[in-house]
This record gives sequence, structure tokens and C-alpha cells, in this order.
Amino acid sequence: MTGYLLSRLRQMVPVLFGVVTVVFLLIHLIPGDPVEIMLGESALAAQKEELRRELRLDRPVVVQYGEFLLGLAKGDLGTSFRSREPVLREILRRVPATLLLSAASMVVALLIAVPLGVLSAMRQHSVVDHLSGFLAMLGLSMPNFWLGPLLILIFSIGLGLFPVSGYGTAGHLVLPALTMGAGMAAILMRMLRSSLLEEIRQDYVRAACARGLSRRDAVLRHALANSLIPVLTVMGLQFGALLSGSIITETIFSWPGIGRLTIQAIEARDYPLVQGCILFIALCTVIVNLLTDLLYSRLDPRIRYE
Amino acid sequence: MGDVQSRFPYAALLLALAAITLSGCSPKPPIDDGTLVIALPGAPSNIDPRLATDAYGTQILQMTHASLIRMDAAGNPVPDLAERWEERSPTEIVFRLREGLRFHDGKELSSADVRYTFAWILDPANRSPHRATYGTIRAIDAPDPRTVIFRLSEPSAPFLAGMVRGIVPIGSRAAGYSPPIGAGPYRVDDFQQDSEIRLSRFDGYFGTPPAIERVVVKFLPDSNVRFLELAKGSVNFVMNGVDPDLIPAALEHGNLVMEEAAGSNASYLGFNLRDPVLSEPLVRRAIACAIDRESIVRSLWKGHADLADSILAPGFWAHADGIPAVRFDPDAARRLLDSAGYRDPDGDGPQPRFRLTYKTSQNELRRQIAAVVQEQLHRVGIALEIQSFEWGTFFSDIRKGNFQLYSLTWVNIQDPDIFYYAFHSGQVPPEGANRGGYRNPEIDRLVERGRREPSREKRKEIYRKVQLLLARDLPVFPLWISRNILVRDRRLEGFEITPGEDYTSVKEMTVRREKEAGR
Repeated sequence: MTGYLLSRLRQMVPVLFGVVTVVFLLIHLIPGDPVEIMLGESALAAQKEELRRELRLDRPVVVQYGEFLLGLAKGDLGTSFRSREPVLREILRRVPATLLLSAASMVVALLIAVPLGVLSAMRQHSVVDHLSGFLAMLGLSMPNFWLGPLLILIFSIGLGLFPVSGYGTAGHLVLPALTMGAGMAAILMRMLRSSLLEEIRQDYVRAACARGLSRRDAVLRHALANSLIPVLTVMGLQFGALLSGSIITETIFSWPGIGRLTIQAIEARDYPLVQGCILFIALCTVIVNLLTDLLYSRLDPRIRYE
Repeated sequence: MGDVQSRFPYAALLLALAAITLSGCSPKPPIDDGTLVIALPGAPSNIDPRLATDAYGTQILQMTHASLIRMDAAGNPVPDLAERWEERSPTEIVFRLREGLRFHDGKELSSADVRYTFAWILDPANRSPHRATYGTIRAIDAPDPRTVIFRLSEPSAPFLAGMVRGIVPIGSRAAGYSPPIGAGPYRVDDFQQDSEIRLSRFDGYFGTPPAIERVVVKFLPDSNVRFLELAKGSVNFVMNGVDPDLIPAALEHGNLVMEEAAGSNASYLGFNLRDPVLSEPLVRRAIACAIDRESIVRSLWKGHADLADSILAPGFWAHADGIPAVRFDPDAARRLLDSAGYRDPDGDGPQPRFRLTYKTSQNELRRQIAAVVQEQLHRVGIALEIQSFEWGTFFSDIRKGNFQLYSLTWVNIQDPDIFYYAFHSGQVPPEGANRGGYRNPEIDRLVERGRREPSREKRKEIYRKVQLLLARDLPVFPLWISRNILVRDRRLEGFEITPGEDYTSVKEMTVRREKEAGR
């Protein structure tokens, strides 16, 4: 297990290296001058040159890249051009909001997906199955920029249950989590249904029923756990996507997460901050995928990592 | 038992949801507690007056920081921290501070703080984006606690407009998101970047302390959400943040009212004068004649804009009267194009006289305007290709002169010296904002004189000539000036809408009691 873990951690290095390299090149290639954006048009050309020198943007891109890698090796992500704060501090300030929304969205998705997925598998072709299929289609096809305001209209304006937007109380979390969780619930629900349907047809389920277990108990106690492996894979991938933040959901609900920070950094051509944000997102994604892989062995004892 | 266990988590979750619901919902709107809640369409990147450049930061600073002077609605300087000022000579300006000025922490505000604020901006090590504004300052003296003397290297008419800058205490660090304290009517209690800023009344304010004790400014980038917050009552004040399409729906809520006043943000069509087609003045005039601005204002702005004849708003002191208006006249446009040598090769056929590209940002309204302009130019035989880009890319192209036509808006013009910056031949980027590469020795001479001339009356005459010349040459075509629209709770009173979207008069606002508001 330890060997496997170390090998996976080793594999993370080239992935992250690739990500930072591509991001570094892309952000330097797209048009837009951070100095112009920072100082505005009215600044003198000499002043702009001065700042360019100070930010070391006057050096060849290769040199800048080398310096960036050197800083990274020392754990220094640099300083944001825009706020003049260390990039790491900027990111860490947004991490709690991002983690909270991601976790809450995942909980919402599971609360919807697991009961409906199990019910539709156990009662295939029933009204419940068709209804959950319809709901899944709805969840997948409804874009967040439409669902978010719709939820606000119903739950905030109509029923007056939750705040429209903002961050700080538990009430603020509900609508953005529902918005982000809905689409994911649809994917997980369909995935769980098809995976569970396969398991239900296995001999061990039939054997459990023959031993006197009710069909419901046989499914819930035995088949469900085995059907979760493909669901877990999707969950891992989806959670990675959640951590990178949903720009649209964060914008609608004024949620101060990593997604919005990344967009603001790109708009301001804040190179160190863009690099830091993307590195954080990539790191979260590979870590979540690693944890997902490790969880497989928990769910299925036959899976062993050597 | 199994049933109870399986149902328990859901029962608990329902209870938790109910608890969250109860904790999350506010029993009454903030206006009932006398709290003013303003929504801004974006978050400021900085609220340090020495560094802030965006409109949102400036608007917050108008509530939290006091300057030596401020500008009234017509652009005239009026006292703020300074009770008076005088020009001992064109290069020596003396400000006399009011007595008993205090910062939010109770410490005295003196001339040394004023000197420190401007010296900090001028120090290259601090990388202030405002340093160029104060380039003519040679020395700042503070001979006594209430006197500040600015010595300039040369006469500078726009100098006074630059004195609208929040003063901070000596030793204030530029510390990221922690704003330095000020001496404005409100103090900052809490600033959550990307979320909101909470302000409370500063009782030691040198003027009359504000009637409204608490102000919350929320940063809401989504226009639908700003509308929904207004509808719910959790936001009660939005200036220029409700889409023209949504205003009628907002007013259906009995608690909201709309106020409208002339603005100063001038949208214009920019031409690249280095382009062989657009260098021809007849072509530029033809394009101007072919654009039906009135119909655009009526259909897309829903009437909330005024046609422009200059980049200066009509209420601004330096705006020239009698500028010949460009009227919508497609026949005249066709004739002008014919005389410029660009005849339509196949009459009403599909072939255009020539093709142009039009660059704009990704703002939805701007893209709609571009589509209408495209159709209108098509009618006179000009094929227009619209290219819309993310702001950074769009602006970078404009700065590099990589465009034929583009549309942008001048915001917050404080002084007619904008004409030097935007049209002097020496101000072609990277140095200034003459992006189209306009060159006219007469304009150069006038704008150079204008920035040195201390007399406002003489400056007005200089800039009148400048505006007439620009209306003749059309290096840019002024389109319209959007009106400032305030949607507010009907109980809020006392706010004066200025052309520059100024938030200074928040301190004059009051909340009318329910019974009075109902009358």
C-alpha cells in the first residue's frame, strides 16, 4: 500500500509540472498587458517600463519560467500583481468557501442520487424509474445560469426561505449547493441505477434472497456496496471539477470561491495568481482522484494495491 | 428498527434544513432597521485611495475617505478637507485645512498627512497607478498643521482635479485588502473581498454626521441577481446596475422607485486613422451619417441615454454649445462614400463598397449595439465584421492600434485635459490614449495651451475650439451619453444623482418612516 501511494505521489509530479508549464505558456501568450491593466492608460511610458522591470516582465519568457519554477520549488508562488498579497494567502483565503460549497454540493447530489438511483434500479420500468429518468434529464439539461435564478425566484423571493446571494451563514449555502448539486445528482443517479441493475442480476443477490433475505435487504446490504465503485469513480472526477469552482454559480450567488478568483486573475492578467490558482485546482484534482482510488479497496476487499 | 435507522438520517437532514432556513432568512428587510444596502456590479480590486483605479473602489472611497477638495455636479471644485485654497502663482497652490479634522481612529488629520499621502503616491517604489497624475508636483510643504503648499514644475490646469484623492494617515501601509483608515463620513467595519463591505457612521466626521448609521455595499456581478435582491428588499439601492429591460419589472414592486438624471459616460465609435479607408474624413462622416443613434437609444437603451455631440457631457463646464450635430441620413452617407471614391460596385446587389472590422467587448448590450450598427452600415453598402473579445484581449488590441473600428466609453471625465490625452499627436499609445493615431497640429497647439491656462473662462474657449475641430474631423464619433438610473427603496431620500455617479451624497441620505413613505 505504501509503495503504491509513493508511486502515485511520484506520478503526480510530472502531471503538475505539465499543468504549470502549459498554464505559464498560455497566460503569457494571450494578448493583454498586466502593466497596462494595473497602471491604466494614463501612466507614463517610463512608469510602465519601470513597473515591467520591477515585476521582472522585461525578461525573456524562458527566464521568467525558470524563476517561476525555482520559486515553486521553494514553495513560493509569488505575489499577486493586483492585490500585492502573496498568492498562497490569496488562494487560502478562498479555500474554505470553495471546500464548503463543493462538499455541500456533493452532499446534495448524493441525497438526491442515492435514494432515486436505488429506487429506479429496484423498480425498473416503474413510474418511479421513469420519473427519476425524467428528473435526471432535467438536472443535466438545466444550465446553472438558469437554474440558479430560478431557485432564487422560488425559494428566496417566493417563499422567502433563503438569502438571494452572499456568503457567511448556513442559509447562504443552500441555493448554490442545490444549483451545483442538481447536475451532478443526475449523473450519479443514472450511474448508480445502471451499476445496481447489473449487480441485482448477480447470483449472490439471488442466493441472498434464497437464504431468506428480503429483496430490499439483499440489495441494500450486498448489491449497493458493490455497485458503488463506478459511482465512486465519477464522484471523484466530479468532485475535482467542483473544487475548481463553478464560475457561473459563484458569480450568481456572489460566492467568494476559487473559480471567481481565477477568472478575475485572468481578466487582470495577474500571471502569478493565475498560475497559483490553476496549480491549486490541478493539485486538488489529482489528490481527489488518488483518494478515490484508495477508497476502492475499502469498498471491495478484493482490490489490493501493491 | 432497521426502518427507523434508515429513516433517521433523512429526518435529521430535514430538521437541519429547517434550522438552516430559519437561521438564513431575515425576518425583515434591512431598510426597516435603517440600513442602506447598496449593490455594485463588481468588487473593487483595491480600496486604498493611493492605489484604487476602478469605479467600484472610487465609489466606496467617496463614502470612507475625505479629499482636500471634491467636484460638484458641474465639475467645479468645492471644499472638502480644505476650507479654502489659493493660487499664489501658477506653480504654487496653497490649501488651508479645516480646524479639528480627525481620522476614523480619532487621531488628528494634519497637513503632514496630506504631504505623506501624495509623497507616497509619487514614490516610484510604491508603484502607484496615480503617479503620472501628479507628475508636475515638484515639492509639497507643510509649514504648519493646517497649511499645505504644492509647488509645481510648470503650470498645470488639471492639477486641482487631481486633488480629489482620499487622504490617509502618516505611515499607512498598502496592505492588500486591509484598507487604510480615512476621514470620510463612514468608517470601514469589515471588508470581505468579492462579497461585501460594511460601513458604519463616523461620529467624528468634520461635516454633519450621516443620518444613516449603517451602510452595506454588496458586490453582485450578476444583473439578474441584483434585480432579485432589490425585489426581495435585501438590497435597497442600485445605481446603473439594473438592466434597462428589467427596470419596469423592478418598479412593479411597490417599495421601489426609479430616479433618472443626466450622466457623463460617453460612448463613442473609434476610427483607426492609419487605415487607408478610414483615414479619409468623408468615409468617417459617411459612417456617422449611416448610424441611426436615435433608434439604438430607443430600442436598446430603452431611452435611458442622450445623443452625444462631444465626449464631454452637456452639463460639464467645458462642454461647447453649438457643435454641429451629425444627423442620421443614409442618402447623405451614400453620397459621401461616392465622393470619397468608394462607389457601390453593384448598386443594391450583395457586393459591398468595402469591408471593415468592428471590435467590441463581450458585454451583451455592446454586442447588440454592434449588430445594429452592422445592419445600418450594410444599408449604405459597408460590410462590417463584428469581433467581440474578452476585455483584456479587446483592450490590448485597441492599445496596439490593431483595429479598424471599435466602440468604448469614456467614464468619469474630471477635466477637459482629456482632450490632450485622447487627441494630442504625442499621445499615441504606449504614452497616451490617442488610439486612432489622430494628428492635427491645431489640436496639439490648443490642448497644450489648455492644460497650462489657469483661467477657466479662457480654457472654456480653448476647449470650445477643440470640440468644434473634432466634430469636423471626426477622429471618433461620439454616440450617446448614458443616463444615470437609480432604483431605490421609496423610503430612502436625499441622494443627489450626479453625472459622475458620485456616492458622496450618501451621507445626506435619510430613511423616511413607513407611515410618511406611504402618503
